[in-house]
Amino acid sequence: MSSEFLKLVVLLAAFGLFISACDRGSSQAPEWTDAEVTTLKSLWLESLPDLPDDPSNAVANNAIAAEFGRKLFFDVRLSANGGVSCSTCHQVARRFTDGLKKARALGLSDRNTPSIVGSQYSPWQYWDGRRDSQWAQALAPLENAHEHGTNRAQVVDTVFGDADYRMTYEALFGPLQDTAGSDAFELNTAFANIGKSIAAFERTIMPTTSRFDEYVAALVRGGAQREILSADEIAGLRLFINEASCTQCHNGPLLTNHEFHNTGLLNFPGDVPDKARAGGVREVFGSEFNCRSIYSDDSAGFCPELDFARTGIELIGATKTPSLRNLEHTAPFMHKGQLSSIADVLDHYNKAPDAMIGHNEAEPLGLNIAELHQLEAFLATLAAPVSALGVEL
Amino acid sequence: MISRRAVLYYQLISLFAVLFSWDVSAHGGVVEEDDLCVIKVNYLRAHFKVYQPGALGHEQYCEDLPMATESVFVMEYLHDSLSEMPIDFRIIRNVTGKGRFARMEDIDLIDDIDSATVFYRAPVVEPDIYLVNYQFAEEGDFIGIVSARHPNTGKIYAAVFPFEVGFTGLGYWPFFIGMLMLIQFQYLLMSGRLKRWLGKEVAVATCVILGLLLSPVLFAENLVVTYTTPDGNPEINKMHDWIVHIENDEGLKIEGAIVDVEGGMPKHNHGLPTKPLITAELGSGDYKLEGMRFHMSGYWEIVISITTDNGSSKVMIPLQL
Repeated sequence: MSSEFLKLVVLLAAFGLFISACDRGSSQAPEWTDAEVTTLKSLWLESLPDLPDDPSNAVANNAIAAEFGRKLFFDVRLSANGGVSCSTCHQVARRFTDGLKKARALGLSDRNTPSIVGSQYSPWQYWDGRRDSQWAQALAPLENAHEHGTNRAQVVDTVFGDADYRMTYEALFGPLQDTAGSDAFELNTAFANIGKSIAAFERTIMPTTSRFDEYVAALVRGGAQREILSADEIAGLRLFINEASCTQCHNGPLLTNHEFHNTGLLNFPGDVPDKARAGGVREVFGSEFNCRSIYSDDSAGFCPELDFARTGIELIGATKTPSLRNLEHTAPFMHKGQLSSIADVLDHYNKAPDAMIGHNEAEPLGLNIAELHQLEAFLATLAAPVSALGVEL
Repeated sequence: MISRRAVLYYQLISLFAVLFSWDVSAHGGVVEEDDLCVIKVNYLRAHFKVYQPGALGHEQYCEDLPMATESVFVMEYLHDSLSEMPIDFRIIRNVTGKGRFARMEDIDLIDDIDSATVFYRAPVVEPDIYLVNYQFAEEGDFIGIVSARHPNTGKIYAAVFPFEVGFTGLGYWPFFIGMLMLIQFQYLLMSGRLKRWLGKEVAVATCVILGLLLSPVLFAENLVVTYTTPDGNPEINKMHDWIVHIENDEGLKIEGAIVDVEGGMPKHNHGLPTKPLITAELGSGDYKLEGMRFHMSGYWEIVISITTDNGSSKVMIPLQL
């Protein structure tokens, strides 16, 4: 009996020590393991590498082309009704999104408008990756009946009908050739060059330092971290890189792996479920402006992304992981805007329901409400202004 | 006695399995396999599931749908060639009169399939996965028909699956509940509890009444056939008599009919070990059927042919022993 009592006393004492240790821990700066610090640094904006080269676009890093592209990006003349520009859907004030479930310009599009921020780092454009460069992507909406609703001949005519545009174009690409030729090569080249100029501008659209980045900077450089993030935000960050498994897909300084995943979202009402990447990978192989096309400026024709692209039924319903930077002003979320708030998104991942088509790659998280709030609090710390052409917007 | 009851419940579960595989035998349909719903378009198979995402979220259904609302039909190919074959998808109102026993032959008999059609998607090659979104305007009985054309032979394979929208009818449930009660009753009878409670005569009378009330009710055009057996579910290898009751759907008892009975096990491709006969007409639509015997457990089909002045019809009674 007495030995049982002794055991109990020892256990209680150990428990008390444990509690007080925890308490002390929580009253000081949170301890991150070396592995966690490595993970935090990997998510840090300062870890973002230099802009990747785009050998398919000779003017990708040309400042004149970027400025030309900026004008084109906001020019409503590049549309069938003279009322639609790239910025109709990619609105600066909404971090280059539009606040709608599905994009609406001349008509209703199939999917939610993705942000442009950070897309220069992705080998794939669109939710389904059906284009493999920013410039090839920029061309598609111009000819989409639901978006700009124009065509390449009209676009080229409009650009060359503007004296300033014509001068800039010819300075960048040389004199305009006869675009009425029977083989369409000159027309397509001029059209592609317009896309490459828009891409030169889009390449400059960047995220800026968020509170999360300031926190990591303080952690790495020994600054005062505690004033930067609250206890809830830090708890959310801890969940984000550990139990919640968010960094399986949302990794790197842009918090995306640029890959395609099925996360079991419902269809948009009235639509069949979106096959997404399964269709997108097929389309990019057939795209007339893809990396292998004659309109690419890469004479080596080096296209590893296409050469090694994954295909097959496991891509059914898989959409591209979006960046988690700048979630502010970008609701609703997901590829059809199915979820209206970050809380809804977290609830969806917490449950990880079976997919309507293909297989939901996510597992239920089993987080409680407090933990979901902490995650939401952390995600808000990634909010920050964006910049373009080196200027904060 | 408990193990005996377990056997009886096992039989009931087997009956579920048999009934859900009902439409598959000839041309293809929808069945449950290892908790998955599978559509068989001849030898071509696909996972089959239906969602009502607007109303019921991620809940998936195999055939019957709870309500008339947006419904998404999904076929995930288990056979690669389906992704290269033009597939069309048709939903018709179930005008076959065969309810959920409708088969391809019944579809072929429909004169004007277009007027019964509520949804049609023309043949299209759908790589990866086949998807249809249809908004049901009303509840009722429907039949889905999926056809795939073989790219080389031109042969058309079809799957037919009757289903309900809005669960307007009761489906198999009255049948299952009836069987369940019969089995429970049989158990009580066999265990002697019922006798202790009620006395033998009352027990037997109750058995007959319950049997009459709850035995499977099967429809053939306008005829309704019920049957009673002395011991509930027939015992294997024991010859016994049935009483077959025939009336039309207005409750008129059919008298003076010529009634023939055949039966067998489709899976084993053999008939009954006996040649049972209607030996007496008992009046009030009752006929005495003698010489029934089953020589193995499994799935049996008993086909009762009824000829009256108004013509002939056949009723098939499924039995899981």
